[in-house]
Amino acid sequence: MKIGGYELTLEKRVTLTGWEAAAISILAIVFALALFGIIFVQAGVNPLTGYNEIFSYAFANQFGLPLTINRFIFLLLCTYAFIIPYRAGLWNIGMSGQLYAGALSAFAVLVAFGAKESRNVELSPGVVIPLMMVAAAAGGAATGAIAGFLKGRFDTNEIVVTMMVNFITFWLVSHMIKEGGPFMNPGGRGESFELPTSVYAPLIADIPFTIFVALGLAVLLYFMFAKTKIGYQIKAYGLSPPAARYAGISLFKMPLMVFIMGGLIAGLAGYHMFAAVPGVYKIARNYGYFGDLSFYGIICGLIAQGNPLAAIPIALLFGGLSSGGRFVQGKLQIGFGVDLALMGVLMITLVAFQFFFRHRIVLASAEKEELDAGVLR
Amino acid sequence: MRLQSIKHGDPALAVRGITKRFPGVVANDQIDFEIRAGEIHAILGENGAGKTTLMNILFGLYQPDEGEIYIGGEKVNFRSPLDAINLGIGMVHQNRKLVPAHTVIENIILGHPRAGKILNLKRTEEEIREVSDKYGFRIDLRAKVWQLSEGEKQAVEILKALYRGAEVLILDEPTSALAPPETERLLASIEAMARDELAIVPFITHKLPLVLAISDRVTVLRHGKVTARLETESATEASLAQNMVGREVIFRMERTRVEKGEPVLQVENLSALGEKGYQVLKGISFAVCEGEIFGIAGVSGNGQQELAEVLAGLRKAEAGNVTLDGQDITYHSSLERWQMGIGYIPSERNDVGSIGELSLVENVTMNYHFDGDFSRRGIVDYRRIRRLTEELIAEYGVATPGPDIPAKSLSGGNLQRLILARVISRKPRLVIANLPTQGLDVGAIEFVRNKLLEAKKEKAAILLISGDIDEALSLSDWVAPIYEGEFMDIIPGEAAKREDVGAMMAGLKLKAGQQ
Repeated sequence: MKIGGYELTLEKRVTLTGWEAAAISILAIVFALALFGIIFVQAGVNPLTGYNEIFSYAFANQFGLPLTINRFIFLLLCTYAFIIPYRAGLWNIGMSGQLYAGALSAFAVLVAFGAKESRNVELSPGVVIPLMMVAAAAGGAATGAIAGFLKGRFDTNEIVVTMMVNFITFWLVSHMIKEGGPFMNPGGRGESFELPTSVYAPLIADIPFTIFVALGLAVLLYFMFAKTKIGYQIKAYGLSPPAARYAGISLFKMPLMVFIMGGLIAGLAGYHMFAAVPGVYKIARNYGYFGDLSFYGIICGLIAQGNPLAAIPIALLFGGLSSGGRFVQGKLQIGFGVDLALMGVLMITLVAFQFFFRHRIVLASAEKEELDAGVLR
Repeated sequence: MRLQSIKHGDPALAVRGITKRFPGVVANDQIDFEIRAGEIHAILGENGAGKTTLMNILFGLYQPDEGEIYIGGEKVNFRSPLDAINLGIGMVHQNRKLVPAHTVIENIILGHPRAGKILNLKRTEEEIREVSDKYGFRIDLRAKVWQLSEGEKQAVEILKALYRGAEVLILDEPTSALAPPETERLLASIEAMARDELAIVPFITHKLPLVLAISDRVTVLRHGKVTARLETESATEASLAQNMVGREVIFRMERTRVEKGEPVLQVENLSALGEKGYQVLKGISFAVCEGEIFGIAGVSGNGQQELAEVLAGLRKAEAGNVTLDGQDITYHSSLERWQMGIGYIPSERNDVGSIGELSLVENVTMNYHFDGDFSRRGIVDYRRIRRLTEELIAEYGVATPGPDIPAKSLSGGNLQRLILARVISRKPRLVIANLPTQGLDVGAIEFVRNKLLEAKKEKAAILLISGDIDEALSLSDWVAPIYEGEFMDIIPGEAAKREDVGAMMAGLKLKAGQQ
């Protein structure tokens, strides 16, 4: 394309630095917000007012900020549940199923301790909370292992399996918490019994301690991929299974292991959302909403290019948009789900902008085009 | 143009003085030949003899630099495969070009000029069935292509070409993917088609008995030139092999003498299945000692790839056993074999031997992540591997700006140097070198061969798998020509004659006494 005396051409990128990737992502976010501004105008809202409300609620409001942070923790865990298999070249679409299984397992521990009848049961938090977390992790890991095992043993498509398992666990939760179900709320209402106050997750400045789990995992996973043997094996398997096999890496163990690890983290996300977030403390009737929210872990993971540290700001942004979007919808009386619509637009834009991870637009004076030809392959 | 009134023996297709050059190579050099209606005319040549280029010219994919093509005596010019198809050339590719999810009929009419307008499927089916029955193809026309065997898929391609009106049928390696009974059936069909005045041109790499069995005439190519035009009646497998392989020796290496040591690898009665589930390795036995190069010479696809994979632990042995230094390793995993001292240099440099996106350091890690000296308590000592990589780059002359660039930016020769360096630096007891010089330039070839000889001096046992007779002969202490999963013989390297080995690679059995 020619503009004046200049020539616009598309070149293949040979390398992409982390900073370039970050700059492209920020550009994409700005573009997406501008795009969504049109929707605000359509809805009769001044886009600037709309964004001001969203961001000030999400990041500068005493009610909004904790909500944002809780969703951030949840999203970050879901992102890691996606990233580990993703680095092994596999797609975990089953975070929702794995987190449901994690939540059910955590609540099963409460049932075992007889906490079902009343929220005033005195339980020892030092024993029960770790047990709940271990159970949640194990439940998520076992659920993830289904897809990993089938992939490793029979080369079954992991996307299909994880998706199907999502449906199974969704209805399993429904069965468990419905009236007459094993985890039913004594008052009925189609939700689970409530967590005894004695085993509420410890809060630090109103933030559940699970934030340390999530941030700790960020460091741990970064280290795993950069330094450890297992991290190396996952990367090698993800880039080329035949080459990994040649190098003595088991094509059965790798998928099984990454799905166990991913499922484990998703199980913890289930614990976080239903047993650690203030004001929830039960498997709520709208648990499906959180299952849907977990899919944004995929987007965060893709934008972060599988980098556990880069996932942190991205998960924070999505957490803020989901809480702020919900809020602005009510406050400005907009007739549609602003949170999901906004995240959807952002997601499509970010995915589209991944094009620039592999290509760059070069503006060159038209006369010297022949000189430049052939420099890059 | 359709050739409706063909008589037996009329020239159907002729080429005169075809020359095609690529940078640095003359792929086809003044090629002349003529194919008559009703004739089965085989084109024979080794890999790299120029067969593929010629085939692509005949099918309109390449334009020749010089020379002319005649169809039915008239000069033609193919600008694209469509021109070739419209002028009656039918091509049956070795890599099938069919849509697996569609039925046989849908595949046959795909691209047919009549498809796209109103289609009488019932009549079409009858027409196709008539052709199919006439030549003995037994295919369910309504089956989906993915359900078919390789032989049936090939039959679909042939039918497709015939239904498009092909007068000249080019078959690329027609029996390479077929099971023996399917081969029989195909040969019967080919003969039936030739009786109907179709000209059939099979391109064959090495299966000499097949050439003798089906063709009327043979044109042999070597290094892009026609070296012989023979009536099949007057040809023998030996004369074909001689013309195809030639006598001159391109590359001579000094065979270093090393005192023979203890046996390292012993293989007894080893059998294995190939990708398609047929037995491709049929009870092979041999032994390789310290300081010895055991060369397996063969045309690719005769089981040597599978043999290498079984020995490396990447493929299951169906029967027989393998011992390394006296220990039975038949069921050991590839990881255990690396740790016990087997070093495998795979033939697939890019897909198996390296990971393009990873750096050279991480590629070297492929053979060191399991090594206790380089990876302790689950943590890989990248600093140490990096130092090793730098040493290997220097010692093996890998041309690279540094150890951190991705492996995909290396040329084939440099990548092979790196793989060789990585494997040999482990000081393996047994080196399995599978086509180690394939596709490399002369300098890299010489380097790789010298490094193998050095490893031999270091008392390693070396199993060399080669498609290049000269390489196998000049390096090996023992030469075993392999054909259809069996060794035709095991000959001491010094006593092996080039012609004999070439003939045996092509399936000719020689008694030991005849050598």
